[in-house]
Amino acid sequence: MNTLPITITLEIPNNPDKISEYTRTILSSIQEHMALDIGYQRRIKLIMIELMTNSIKHTTEKNTIIEMTIDYLHLSIQKIEKGLKIQFSASSPQLPFEELDKILNVSFSEANKHHIQPLSEFKFKFLKPCEEDDMTIDQIPEHFGLYIITMASDSFVYQYNPELGENSFIVHLNF
Amino acid sequence: MNVTRQNIDDLVLLTIVDKDANLSKSENFKEIVFKEIESGTRKLIISFEHVEYLDSSFLGALVSILKSLVPKKGKLILIELNNDITNLFELTRLDKIFDLRNSLETALEEFK
Repeated sequence: MNTLPITITLEIPNNPDKISEYTRTILSSIQEHMALDIGYQRRIKLIMIELMTNSIKHTTEKNTIIEMTIDYLHLSIQKIEKGLKIQFSASSPQLPFEELDKILNVSFSEANKHHIQPLSEFKFKFLKPCEEDDMTIDQIPEHFGLYIITMASDSFVYQYNPELGENSFIVHLNF
Repeated sequence: MNVTRQNIDDLVLLTIVDKDANLSKSENFKEIVFKEIESGTRKLIISFEHVEYLDSSFLGALVSILKSLVPKKGKLILIELNNDITNLFELTRLDKIFDLRNSLETALEEFK
């Protein structure tokens, strides 16, 4: 085993049917450096699948990469892609944020809503919904990618670098 | 998307044959099931016996199907989900919305 931390850079497959096998390979790579129980294995698989699916769905750029840093107490997975900054629906607050001290409700569409906490002008954290927020069939979203990553991770942050024109989706898991 | 169809009395059992229920198949699957609902099917069981993983796109398709079926007084039961897929339903709290059963037998009991 190598000394931690180590960083692995991965390219994203452009075919959804290759994601499952690719995810298994990534998980095996991580397990060469640390033992993971089944709960962590499931969470990592979900996060990787959804980061890659998101990229295939929304990115035309071919230079999207995933950087994974494995350390003793945490795993960081960062998807980096060139392009325009994230754009919410017209009724939502947009980047750059002016107010940083309150939780915002944003949406990409009627069926894709999120609670976020701005961390800086171009950076925010996806928040988990409250346990008591019961859903009825009409209120259930139909877009789950970012929601799954939020729920499977300990922290899920989006950051835009206007100078580089670069979007980063940064996921942390604590062990 | 490879799906087999079987009539059992007045209900329809759809079994997904593919291993991956993902972005490349979700729209096609939705079309197959919507056609089934349009043709009058109201009691529907979907088997995931062969499915190894399910992504957010397919989850969205299942929600869309349920939203279509419920106002028509229809019922949908999902069966034979592996542990990873069951975990995904629990994580997203969709286990409280969908009727998940271990086997065809228990699903058929629910329809009696």
